[in-house]
Amino acid sequence: MPLLEIRDLSLCFGGLTALSNFNFSLDRGQLVGLIGPNGAGKTTAFNVVTGVYAPTSGRLMLEGQCIAGAPSFRINRMGIARTFQNIRLFAAMTVLDNVLVGLNSSVTHGFWGTLLRSPRHQREEIEHEAEAMRLLGTLGLADRADVMAKNLPYGDQRRLEIARALATRPKILLLDEPAAGMNPQEKIELMALIRLVRDRFGVGIWLIEHDMKLVMTICERITVLDHGETIAQGTPSEVQNDPKVIEAYLGEPVG
Amino acid sequence: MSRKKSENPDRPPAGAAPPSASAFEPPHAASVSPLWQTIRSNWMIPLVLLLLWPANWLVHDSGAIDSYQRRIIMLVGVSMMLAVSLQLINGISGQFSLGHAGFMAVGAYLSAYPMRTYDPQNPMGLVAYFIALAAVVGITAGVLFAIFFLIRRSGRLHPVMPSLLLLIVGAWFLVDVARAAKYEMPPAHFVWSRSFALLVDLFDGILAVSLPVANNISTFMPAAARPTLSFLIVLIGGGLCAAVAGLVVGLPTLRLRGDYLAIATLGFAEIIRVVITNSAPLGRATGMSGIPRLANFGWVYGGVIVTILVVWRIARSAKGRNITAVREDEIAAAAIGIDPTRHKVLAFVVGAFLAGVAGGMFAHFSSYLNPQEFGFLRSVEIVVMVTLGGLGSISGAIITAIVLTTLPELLRGFAEWRMIVYAALLIGMMLLRPQGLMGSREIWDLIPRFARRRAPVPSPTTPEGGSNAPP
Repeated sequence: MPLLEIRDLSLCFGGLTALSNFNFSLDRGQLVGLIGPNGAGKTTAFNVVTGVYAPTSGRLMLEGQCIAGAPSFRINRMGIARTFQNIRLFAAMTVLDNVLVGLNSSVTHGFWGTLLRSPRHQREEIEHEAEAMRLLGTLGLADRADVMAKNLPYGDQRRLEIARALATRPKILLLDEPAAGMNPQEKIELMALIRLVRDRFGVGIWLIEHDMKLVMTICERITVLDHGETIAQGTPSEVQNDPKVIEAYLGEPVG
Repeated sequence: MSRKKSENPDRPPAGAAPPSASAFEPPHAASVSPLWQTIRSNWMIPLVLLLLWPANWLVHDSGAIDSYQRRIIMLVGVSMMLAVSLQLINGISGQFSLGHAGFMAVGAYLSAYPMRTYDPQNPMGLVAYFIALAAVVGITAGVLFAIFFLIRRSGRLHPVMPSLLLLIVGAWFLVDVARAAKYEMPPAHFVWSRSFALLVDLFDGILAVSLPVANNISTFMPAAARPTLSFLIVLIGGGLCAAVAGLVVGLPTLRLRGDYLAIATLGFAEIIRVVITNSAPLGRATGMSGIPRLANFGWVYGGVIVTILVVWRIARSAKGRNITAVREDEIAAAAIGIDPTRHKVLAFVVGAFLAGVAGGMFAHFSSYLNPQEFGFLRSVEIVVMVTLGGLGSISGAIITAIVLTTLPELLRGFAEWRMIVYAALLIGMMLLRPQGLMGSREIWDLIPRFARRRAPVPSPTTPEGGSNAPP
């Protein structure tokens, strides 16, 4: 049984079918891509998996448990973390605080512990800060811990989002266009980082990306969406040579 | 990841960074026991509270301060409590509430009501009063919830059912109230009035049964401590009532944002005021007088200290970070496992509780309550304090609470000009510092030595951060 299993998932907004009969599975340690032209329903697929939308029909299983329609925060606690296409950091908080918020599910001291600064509260604050700093170190942001998130350069913001997602100790990490707006050098670094994250944290990574070079290089499998329909699925080379994919991206062949 | 390798493991010495801040060293405080840290952060509190004794003597008995000044000092204290507690709701949790006067009124009236007839030797009787109140409110809420639940569930029979049932229940309710008002019939004739009378009977019944028991328990307490304890009980009880009101308002309205939430909370505060204006036991529009003057300087400023402590500790902890995260981006917060509703309600309920306690303080030093004092303008005044002090800045809220409460008094010499000066100051302030007096910082952030360790370090463009900038 795969870690994440999606069977015949559909999502309709009124008459518009944003996603139809979507099938997918993902295991720990895998690196899988999701591509497609703009408006194909890629981010919608992420939104359904993370509980932003409830699917109209179909099954959505995490470790054999149905998570369809569960609220976002509960799905995260069950082991799915994500980043966003348009970066959604907590802008007015520091880099360190952003990651510390990600550690919220491992906070065990309650309301009174907070008010009385109980020993457990003190211990957890220290441990969490150390853990957050370790995470930031792994992602190369340790020297920026005290900077406001909004003052970070773009590439660092993307990496901070990954750090924050990893802080929730996910089993599956969804990356929504992690390379958007990065220069070629940063993209090369990002590829190394994504591999590093997969190996060190043992998560299954599912990523949406428009940069074909990046996707084809690091992904083991790729799903191609167009107008909510899955038009191809397979290894990078299979997908690359699929006539339907070429058609979706370049239009119909002439002559 | 060439950058990661070349990176200096020690963080740049920006600000006064203690060794723990380094990512690659084990946490420094592993050597300092958490218990010791708890003691270290708490030992000052009883000391500061003890200092209130001499301060209380200075304000009340030394003769250095006359009764007019004393009243202003007390009002400043209540304003500080209100402003700091609203800072938790409006600043830290980012929900624009205009209903703070409503919570204050709930705390003021419900804590003062039993005190007018109370027996100073029976503090547990006040506990019985709040238990009776809780029973009545609980039963009412239960019945209302059951009706609501039934209406909602009726949708399973037919989609039109909920609207139909809602219409019937609403019409029945309106007709019933209107008839009771028009004919001034004895309450028994109308279901609504009759059920209200039943609740009053229930309240009296619980009190009649529990008061003697409570009296017996009270006799075990030292006689000298009983009045003090009584006041503490009504303060906390009033605060809890306000917290329940906060929960009742919060749960349905917190899905609203910005202006909409402001209007909803404003409406709630007006409902509270109108209910008080029309209920005979609370003195209607004439007000409630004869409340014992139990709140002295020590009580009020003890309340101020507790309020600041509670809000400060929530703000600077995991809870506060979660609350701020929800403020910054609700979707992102939910995506990393934070329940947005829970944290919004938490901020709202704690803020309401503290406002209720402030109301209790107010009731017990002014000795007279009038519904007019808890109107829209009072709410706006508190919001002005918070906004002017800087959203998110606790010390900013304290400073503006002091200034804005004393300023109208200091300007009394200008007679009719004083409100214009006051308004001009507000406008000038907003033009010159739209982010408020302190922004989101605290006053001690301005003093380098006390600056928070996580204060913003120089941006990457400065030479210091430049060496670490991406290639």
